[in-house]
Amino acid sequence: MFVLKDEQIRFILEDIRRNGIVTEALQQDLLDHICCVIETEMLDESNFEEFYRSILPRFFKRNLREIQEETTLLLTFKNYYAMKKILLISGVFSAITLLIGAFLKLLFLPGAGFLFVVAIISFCFLFLPLLSITRAREQKENKNKIIIGIATIFGVLICLATLFKVMHWPFANAMWMASLVVLFFVFLPVYFFTGIRSSETKTNTIISSILILTAGGLLFTLTNLKASRWTDESTYTSDDRLRVAAVFVSEQNQIAYATDSISPRLTELQVKANSICSKIDQLKAGLIQFSSHGEGEQGLSESQIIRNYGTSLNFATAFLFDQDGKAKLDLMAIKKDLVEFNSFVEKQFSKNPSVLLDLNDVFRYGEKDQEVISWEQNNFDHLSIALTLRNFNQLVLNIRLVEATCI
Amino acid sequence: MYIKKIVYICCMYSSELIKGTLKTIILKLLSVNDKMYGYEITQMVKELTGGKIQLTEGALYPTLHALEAQGILSTEVVNVGNRIRKYYSITQTGKKVAKDKVDEFSEFIGTMMDLLDLKPKLV
Repeated sequence: MFVLKDEQIRFILEDIRRNGIVTEALQQDLLDHICCVIETEMLDESNFEEFYRSILPRFFKRNLREIQEETTLLLTFKNYYAMKKILLISGVFSAITLLIGAFLKLLFLPGAGFLFVVAIISFCFLFLPLLSITRAREQKENKNKIIIGIATIFGVLICLATLFKVMHWPFANAMWMASLVVLFFVFLPVYFFTGIRSSETKTNTIISSILILTAGGLLFTLTNLKASRWTDESTYTSDDRLRVAAVFVSEQNQIAYATDSISPRLTELQVKANSICSKIDQLKAGLIQFSSHGEGEQGLSESQIIRNYGTSLNFATAFLFDQDGKAKLDLMAIKKDLVEFNSFVEKQFSKNPSVLLDLNDVFRYGEKDQEVISWEQNNFDHLSIALTLRNFNQLVLNIRLVEATCI
Repeated sequence: MYIKKIVYICCMYSSELIKGTLKTIILKLLSVNDKMYGYEITQMVKELTGGKIQLTEGALYPTLHALEAQGILSTEVVNVGNRIRKYYSITQTGKKVAKDKVDEFSEFIGTMMDLLDLKPKLV
């Protein structure tokens, strides 16, 4: 029997390491096995290195690294089953929770938001990553693993963006756009140009790319949904009717002033009412200009603003309130004038408080509990441009009506 | 998912036929022998089957390591001359797994015999 020398054992061990066996225990196993084969089968007169090279291919099909890869794979095999189980459970859980959430939202029942959050978080942070890992493991080529990785990033982003949009949380649009950028400018080019090179996958790649492009296009059209034309029209009509009514009452008041022998207190009433209405008109004009500028347009009328951007939520709040949620000076000046106007009417005309302008704080059910909010917050904070303008017109009409009761 | 790239067992039978029996073979051998090392296992299988089944190293060692990680096998390192030899032996848990595997395989053989209408050869 041939007995291996120390340097020959070292040579085999080095060669095993060079060939990609990194686990020490596996190196020792293979070293002992190869030594056993050599010691059993090699004749004394044979050349060691030649014999070693001749028996080595018995251990693999392509290269020795296969044994290392196979061992690593089997050692993670146990985790694979646990992952697959969690993958299936989280997938079913997310889908069912999302459907129940959608059902509750449709029926305006409580709990919809909570279920959406739970479903999408479970989908984004359990299901999608696990799916990505298990699918990537099945792929032999790195380019396919990269495609799966990018697709997962897109999936997580678009789901979170949808959640943020549904919950009206900030940065929803930014996330939505980011996910579409990933889809159109990263995922699609990588997917298309890697798939089209192979004749086997060429047709499928083209068809899938068209489907992805169309689906992406549909998502893109959903980016900034506005209310329907009918909603815009009805909002405008409502706003316009109030404006017309305010003008009508104002004209009637002017006629009344002209026919009566006008007393000093009536003159003061007229001046005060006109002054407040003029300030409100200026504030409205400012808001319209601010909103037009914000939308990249200039010189839009009240009707155009309502028809085109009436549902925009940010402009009116940004124009009338500061970052701490406090009303800006212009609005507060109007409120001060309104308080004085009420006081003047009450004092000079002995009017019952029920005919005065309602400037009181109000109770409102907030997210947590009932809260007290100011008159200005109730009428103008976090409202669309259309509703803000409508409330200003309502205010003008109310002032003119109070004025009418005094004449 | 984990369809092996390496041929599990090199033998006169098709790999499809005996795929999945490697664990059963290893566990059965180790449950009747106190401890064995890798080369010894391959030689014993070869001997017992008259060379009809020969385990390849590419399949044997990954399986041995996986079984060790699962606590089904335990190992003992012994210095043999100027190298290390790792002896594998079956644990208590492993003995139960080995019995289950053999029973399952035996039942499978019985089912296949019924299904394919095969009669055992009488000696």
